Amino acid sequence: MKKVFLRALGTVLLLSCAYSATAHDLMVVDPWVRAAPPNAPALGVFMGLENHSGADRSVVAARTTLAVDRVELHRTMKVGEVMKMVPQELIPVPAHTTTLLKPGSWHVMLIGPEKVPAMGDMVQLTLVFDDGSEQTVEAVVRKGKMMMQGHDHQMSHE
Amino acid sequence: MLLGLTLAVGGCEQTAKAPQTRSAFVLPEAATISDFSLSHVELGSYDIEATRGKWSLLFFGYTHCPDVCPTELFMLSEMMRALEQDPGAVSQSPQVVFVSVDPKRDSLQHLQQYAGFYHPDFIGVTSEQATIDRLCESLGVFYERVYYKDGKALDLEPSMPVPEDLSDSYLINHSASILLVNPAGKLHAVFAPPHDPQTIISDLAAIQAGWRS
Repeated sequence: MKKVFLRALGTVLLLSCAYSATAHDLMVVDPWVRAAPPNAPALGVFMGLENHSGADRSVVAARTTLAVDRVELHRTMKVGEVMKMVPQELIPVPAHTTTLLKPGSWHVMLIGPEKVPAMGDMVQLTLVFDDGSEQTVEAVVRKGKMMMQGHDHQMSHE
Repeated sequence: MLLGLTLAVGGCEQTAKAPQTRSAFVLPEAATISDFSLSHVELGSYDIEATRGKWSLLFFGYTHCPDVCPTELFMLSEMMRALEQDPGAVSQSPQVVFVSVDPKRDSLQHLQQYAGFYHPDFIGVTSEQATIDRLCESLGVFYERVYYKDGKALDLEPSMPVPEDLSDSYLINHSASILLVNPAGKLHAVFAPPHDPQTIISDLAAIQAGWRS
């Protein structure tokens, strides 16, 4: 944990020395698609978004090479014992913080997949940021609701 | 509704052996559920009689659910797998029942295929909307349809018609509580979110240990 923190700190220090912002100021960590029934009308995509820069950023859109009706940014919010599912215009990633996309919180929705991918399949996802930059990642399809082992340090950045 | 129920029976004599639970709210006196008849693609009718003689965990949702239902059904599948590893953890494994509040889009076959993906023993049931509404009211389960246009929620009066192009693309906000129905077909306890498989198992064991039919 401490080692990971130090490494992260080191990365931040290193990046803060850079003279210009690069795409790697914003890192997409451990993207994954939640395994779903073969007839699922919607698929959730989750990941950590690490902003190592001093500038606030946000995800404003996402797209995928998977055949789907549309891609939306969503957030689940708990109000009492009722869960509200609310489409979002953007997912904020403030400077020097990590926004965790996870079940029960922020996520990307792939709505109306023509074919639901199987466990272990890779799904290509492109995130579009508010500064016009884009990042394309491969998200693995897996079960579960927790982040992968070794990435639990991100929880403290919420 | 549940609160009202609690208040109404709160003055009654406490059962001598109220089980110690970590997350379940155990009703002081199990509540009668108003008569209902839901359907399952293979079993046919799913009604109060179908709940008798076993412990049932009811979760209300819909298959178009972006996040909450997959999370809860996965959690319940983890619970089932933990019980398969350690069958002695409870005196009787519960029947998990996924009740769709969205019969318009969830056909019986579609619903069962969806629920069965999480665990082969899960059953998915639903009925006409009016029947679902009565059951939800009886159990204190809340849900509401929400329509979005250009990223903004539409503020629709109940009397206003839903725009044609949105008629099938609504989201549903809904209760995320899991309801425990006892072998006498009565509402016995409520697990409010967040949920954890091990907590549900230990609470279920405590409740079952104190159960006398």
